[in-house]
Amino acid sequence: MNISMNELKAALRRCFEASHYFVGNYEDAANMILWLEKHGLKGLAELERLLPYITDDTDKLLSSVLYEDSSSAIIDSHGRSALNCIAASVDLAHAKALISGIATVTVHHCHNRMFILKALTDRGRCGISIAAYWQNGSHTVTEHAAAIRAGARYPSYSEALTNLSASTDLKQTLTIICSSRVDLTASLQLSKGNRNASHMSAEEVAENKANSVEHGIEIEPELWQRINQIGTGILVENNDQSRQGAGGR
Amino acid sequence: MTTAATIQNSMRGNNALPLRPANQVMNLERLGSFHQSRLSFMRTLVRRIMRERWQIEPTRFDLDDDGYGTVVYEVQAPNGLFSFVLFSHYLALENRNDRVIATQWDLTMALVEGPVDQLYLERLKQNVPLQEAGRVDPRVFVLSRANRSARIFDYVVDQLARGAQPDVEQISKVGYLYRTTAVYGSGKLGMADWEKVSTKHKDFSRPFASEMFVCWMLRNFSFLQAEHIARHKSPDTFQAMQPELKRHFGIGNSTGLGMAPFLVNHPMLISNWIEMRELALARIRVLGGINGRVKETLTTLIDRCAQHTRDTATDDESQTEKNLQVVVDLNAMQTYVATSFDTWDGLIAWSEQHCSLQGQEMLVSIMLEIYPELVDDLEDLHSVDEILDLDPIMPLEQLKEVIETRYNWALATDFSADGARETCWYRSEEKMEPRLGNSADEEAKHKQMAMGVGYAVSKCYDQLCAYLTLNPDHNTARFMVARPKMRGIVRRIQSMNRCIYGDIQANLLDRNVLPIHLLRCKLAFFGVGKFDPRSRLWVRNTMFQGAPLLADIGKAFEDDWFMPVAPEQSGNCS
Repeated sequence: MNISMNELKAALRRCFEASHYFVGNYEDAANMILWLEKHGLKGLAELERLLPYITDDTDKLLSSVLYEDSSSAIIDSHGRSALNCIAASVDLAHAKALISGIATVTVHHCHNRMFILKALTDRGRCGISIAAYWQNGSHTVTEHAAAIRAGARYPSYSEALTNLSASTDLKQTLTIICSSRVDLTASLQLSKGNRNASHMSAEEVAENKANSVEHGIEIEPELWQRINQIGTGILVENNDQSRQGAGGR
Repeated sequence: MTTAATIQNSMRGNNALPLRPANQVMNLERLGSFHQSRLSFMRTLVRRIMRERWQIEPTRFDLDDDGYGTVVYEVQAPNGLFSFVLFSHYLALENRNDRVIATQWDLTMALVEGPVDQLYLERLKQNVPLQEAGRVDPRVFVLSRANRSARIFDYVVDQLARGAQPDVEQISKVGYLYRTTAVYGSGKLGMADWEKVSTKHKDFSRPFASEMFVCWMLRNFSFLQAEHIARHKSPDTFQAMQPELKRHFGIGNSTGLGMAPFLVNHPMLISNWIEMRELALARIRVLGGINGRVKETLTTLIDRCAQHTRDTATDDESQTEKNLQVVVDLNAMQTYVATSFDTWDGLIAWSEQHCSLQGQEMLVSIMLEIYPELVDDLEDLHSVDEILDLDPIMPLEQLKEVIETRYNWALATDFSADGARETCWYRSEEKMEPRLGNSADEEAKHKQMAMGVGYAVSKCYDQLCAYLTLNPDHNTARFMVARPKMRGIVRRIQSMNRCIYGDIQANLLDRNVLPIHLLRCKLAFFGVGKFDPRSRLWVRNTMFQGAPLLADIGKAFEDDWFMPVAPEQSGNCS
C-alpha cells in the first residue's frame, strides 16, 4: 500500500513513544527510519528486523564513554539500537572535529547501524564532513561505508559482501570519522575479498528522494498495521470522563 | 525585494527595528488576543488569486434538484492546473455532528493536482466521502468536509426561491451557509506531503494556502448550491442572491483541541509567523509616515473594527465582556487619535496603558492594514525549514545562560505548586483525538503528550546545573552522551534561541490553562473572525466573511475586506 511520508513519520513516532523511547528520541528514531526509506535505502526492511526487539532497550544501560581525548572517543552502547544512541555519538565526533580538525569515535555494541545515515546527513548540512564504516553479519560478513561532504545535502553509501570471517566485536562496532577541515569520501575498495559491491552516489540518493516526495512510500500492509498497532499503546481509553476533556460538542 | 538578509538586518544587530520583546508577545493570553490581519493566510491567498486572476470554472455539475451529487471545478493558476471536487450527500439530522469523531457529512471535498477524468473521479467517490475511513493518493493534497447550517441554509433557499433576499440581520447572526469540521492536508490519509506541495505547486507553497483555498471554494459552492436548489424549487419566482449579501457570508468553522499541539510541535514555524507580524509592526513604527490620509484611514478602520466587534455574537460570558471592552477601547482610541495622535509609538504606548490585550492587538492589525507597502512583501516569508538542530559544541555554561535568558519564564514557574502540573494532554483511542485530562488519572498521566515545554526546560536546567558542577569544561555533545534523555529539550532550547521570539511562554500543564488561547492564536494567523468560544476547549468562528467572490476575479480589487461589517439591505427580505 501507499502512504505519505508524514503518515509514516507520525505512525513511527507513536510506535517508538509507545515502546518507551523518550521525548526527542522517538522523533529521532522515526526520522532515521523515514530518511532511509525516503532515500531508497530500505529503512522499512531495517525496521522490520528490529521490531521484535523494539522494547528491549528500555532495560539496557545508557551509552557510556570508555575513553576519550581531544580527538577521539570510544563509546559502549551496551547493545542498544542506533535509533536511540547513535546521534549523540555523531554529535560528539562533530564537536571533537571542530576542536581538533579531525576526530574519530568508535562505538561498540550498537545494533541497526545503518540508521546512522540520517545523523551523518544532519551533520553534513551543518557544514562538516563525516564518514562511517561498519561490518555486519554472523555467517557472511558485509561491510558498509557512508560519507557526506561538508555542506552537502546527501551522503553516498556503499556496501559489499566480504570473505572476512565474523568477529563478535566488529559485528556490533561502528567507526565514525569527522573533519572540519578535510572533505571525507568513503567508498569500499574493489578487492578480491569483496563481492556484490554496490555504491549509491549522493545524486542517486537525491533521485530516490524526489521519487518518494512525488509518489509517497510503498509499505506492506502487514508492516503498516504492526507499526500502528504498537502505536496504540499511547492512546487512552475512551470513556465518559475522557469525553469531558474533548474540544467540541 | 525582501530577502532573508534584509530580514536578518531588520531584526538583529545595531540597525534592528524596534521589535516588541518576546516576553510581551509570547505571553499566552496576548497570543490568544490576536486578530486577523492583512498578513493572515486567507488575506494573502485571496490577494494572490485576485492579482493573478486565477481562472476557476465548474467543468462538471451533476447536482439533482435537491443539490445532491458531484461538482468538479477546474482551477487554472499561473503554475498549474488543479481540480476541486465536491460530493454532496443527504445527511439526516441525527447524523449531523461537528466533532472529529463524526462519520457522515453534508459535503466532502478534495483538492487534486491536474484534471480529473471519469475513472479517477470514481476512485475519489469511493474514498473522499469516507474521509478518515478512506484512502487517497498523492495527487490529492487537501481533504475536507462540511455541514450545512441548520439555522439558515433552508431559510436562504426559501427566500431565493420566492424571489426575496435573505435578511442581512439573519446573515450577520449566523454568518455562513456551511461550516467545515475538518480540513486535512500535509500527507494525511495518503495525500501529498507538504514537501511535495511546497516544492511542486508554487501556487500553494505558503503555509495552509491549499487548506484555505478549499474553504474559500466551499464558500463559493455554497452559493452555487443554494441558488441551484432554489431555482429548481421555484423556477418562476427564483432570484439570485445579491453579490453584496453573498460577500457577507463566510464559512463556519469549529476548532477544537486538535489545533493546540500543532503550536507546540511546530515552534519554529509559529515563531516565524510571529516574527513577520512583529516585523511589519516595527516597520510601521519607524517608516510609516503619518499624514491626513493615514489619519482618515485610521479613523475609518477604528470605526469599522468597533462595528465588527459589536456585530460579533457569542454566548460566552468572558468573550462578551472582552468584546464590550474592545469597543470601549476603540472608542477611547478614536478620541486619542482625534486629539493627541502624532506618532505610532505614542499610540502604541497609549494603548498599552489604556486598552485590553484584545484592544491592543486590534490596533496592531489596524496599523498593518494601513501600510500594504510595508507589510505585504512579508507574506512570502511565512515558511521555514523546521529543523531543530543540536549545537554540539556549545559550552554548557553558555547553554545554562541561554536557558536563564530565554526561558526565565519557565524557571520562574514553581512546578511543585498545587495545580502546576495538574493538566495532562493525551490522545484518545477515539480517532486519536487530543483531549485534556487530570494528572490524577494515571493512564492519562502516563500517556500524556510532551506539551509541558516549560517543565521540561526546568528539569533540564536542574540536571544541567548538577552536571556542570562536576564537568565545568564539557560541551553540549558530551552532556548529550551522558544525559541522552535531555536531547529533545536541549535541541529545542538551542534551536529556539536562534529565533527572535522562541517558545510560547506558558505552563500548559497548569490546572487553569486556557487552550482556547492557543486555538485563537493560530486561527488569527489563518484570518478568521467572529470568535465564539463554546468552552475553554473549542471555538466557533467565521472564515472569509467579506472576501471577494469567484465572480469578482478579474474585476477591480481593493483588498479591503478586513473586519467586514454588514451591508445595507437593498432587496426585499420580507
